[in-house]
Amino acid sequence: MRKDITVSAEVRASRGKNEARRTRRAGKIPAVVYGAFQEPVSIAVNPREFYRIVRGASGYNTIFNLAIAGAETTPVMVVDQQVDPVSGALLHADFKRIDLARRLRVSVPVHTVGEAKGIKLQGGLLEIVTHSIEIECLPDDIPERFDIDVTELMIGQSKRASDVVLPASIKLLSPADAVIAHVVALRAEAEPAAEEAVAATPEAGAAPAAGEPEVIKKGKKEEEAPAEEKGKKK
Amino acid sequence: MMMPKKVKYRKQQRGRMAGKAWRGSSIAFGDFGLKAMECAWITDRQIEAARVAMTRSIKRGGKVWIRLFPDKPITKKPAETRMGKGKGAPEQWVAVIRPGKVLFEMEGVDRATAFSAMRLAAHKLPIKTKFVSRDGLE
Repeated sequence: MRKDITVSAEVRASRGKNEARRTRRAGKIPAVVYGAFQEPVSIAVNPREFYRIVRGASGYNTIFNLAIAGAETTPVMVVDQQVDPVSGALLHADFKRIDLARRLRVSVPVHTVGEAKGIKLQGGLLEIVTHSIEIECLPDDIPERFDIDVTELMIGQSKRASDVVLPASIKLLSPADAVIAHVVALRAEAEPAAEEAVAATPEAGAAPAAGEPEVIKKGKKEEEAPAEEKGKKK
Repeated sequence: MMMPKKVKYRKQQRGRMAGKAWRGSSIAFGDFGLKAMECAWITDRQIEAARVAMTRSIKRGGKVWIRLFPDKPITKKPAETRMGKGKGAPEQWVAVIRPGKVLFEMEGVDRATAFSAMRLAAHKLPIKTKFVSRDGLE
């Protein structure tokens, strides 16, 4: 979805991890913009502006204007980001220039609507298998999200990618039979009880001996190897 | 208890736990998760205790994913044994956990129930953890 937001950026003259770290310490994040058959440009952007876009309703599918100081102003979208796994801080972002006249592939989130009958009446569990589907459309036609009604689902029934209602201008790229959500019977309670009973038996004994798995022996390979060599000689 | 079915070698060296878990650091299956904030060896018993605590807490409803597997054998020499005479016998299995790793995931329950279950599971683990949820989930 295209939005009239402009994010300012500066060109980074030097590259490398040391310079990237200095950029982060200065309160900006290193980023790169590429695509549309043009040369990639290393830039630095304000992480607050980046989060304002990514955390918006259309998330990563937002098309916005990137104004690089002293250079181009072009419509872009976020295609990748690196996040610190512990602190969650943004480390780097990739922007792609978007040609507004060309169709592009995007992944759009799918949300379930309603409570499945299989949960209410049969005590099942709604399992969401796929959280997004891939589509092809013009940049201006990218939807924020798709909603899929799961009210009628009973245990064993599912909603597939082909069940998502798409406008005529949007083409589905994900497999049509890809399961979005299905209602499954709950088995979680029976499994732990059985496993606990098995686990309790060795603990009751004197020493909690750790079970030993099977060791893959080298012998088989050695036996096979000469046979192969013989075959080659022939 | 969780352990591999087949191994190539019975015993391993201790190894290192440096760095962060760049892989397996985001929620992949469920809506909520428990993320490690420290590095540790998490034993098969601790994983099992955490799993039991979680599944009992959510009772019926909800699905749990265990995203760590104890594939490293830890050996130990018997008590009152002189040093030498080779490496000890395999005693337990551990998962090598680096900070940032998502340990458990959960789906099919509301946020409060998931938080409560994850809190109980976290008490069974030897490390600091953090409750995380899928991006954009209300």
